[in-house]
Amino acid sequence: MADAVLFYALGGLLLVSAALVVTVKNIFHAALYLALALFVVAAIYVTLGAYFLAAIQVLVYIGAVVVLAIFVINLTRTVTGAPVTLSRRWVIPAALVSALTACLIAVALLKAADSSPASPPATADATAAIGRGLLGQWVLPFELVSVLLLSSLIASIAIVGKDREEER
Amino acid sequence: MTITLTHYLILGAALFCLGIYGAITRKNAIGILMSLELVFNAVNINLVAAARWQPDGGLRGQLFALFVIAAAAAESVLGLAIILAIYRRRVVVNADEMDLMKN
Repeated sequence: MADAVLFYALGGLLLVSAALVVTVKNIFHAALYLALALFVVAAIYVTLGAYFLAAIQVLVYIGAVVVLAIFVINLTRTVTGAPVTLSRRWVIPAALVSALTACLIAVALLKAADSSPASPPATADATAAIGRGLLGQWVLPFELVSVLLLSSLIASIAIVGKDREEER
Repeated sequence: MTITLTHYLILGAALFCLGIYGAITRKNAIGILMSLELVFNAVNINLVAAARWQPDGGLRGQLFALFVIAAAAAESVLGLAIILAIYRRRVVVNADEMDLMKN
């Protein structure tokens, strides 16, 4: 019973904050609601027993991605001085597409629902097992991800830092 | 009343569709990127929840979600860098005004 209350509270908060992210006019407010939504996703990971993933979610998404988005919002706003408001377009087709997709997935899930057991198997904290897996069986994708992050770092510096050379 | 896997999958589907709605309706390129982050998180909720109901307790799903988070961070960094570069050259942030290669 307690986990049902927790699930519905977290799910409702997640959907409300996500709806605010996609509908609110001021993009700075949208970024703050995005931080809230990502934090609620971390809480949902905790209810699923994924404690390490919840910590990574808070560190990487809220600590890096949202902060970076706020930086870019401020960099693109203060130069012109105009407040960034968001105009909307194609509201009805977009609502139609997303509602129909949601109906499709929900119908497919409810038809297949009886195959899943009611309660998951009990698990211990998986953090140690994740660490062993990352440096053992999945060491190759782990190293590939580090190469991907390094290349995206170099690429973003090359993209943004190009103007300075042309000014000289 | 217990929470089953279907509850989590329907929550993920709703979040996914909200992200799709935002990616279509937003004009601002940063807004589109933020909607895409919602889509990634919906997929991650599905992965972690679906793996939680497996016999091994969800280890593989959590590892896969970890790699998705890393790829999403790289995508977000590159997208924001491109938006900033376009803004510096042409002072536009709306996706429908980035039409230099049109015609």
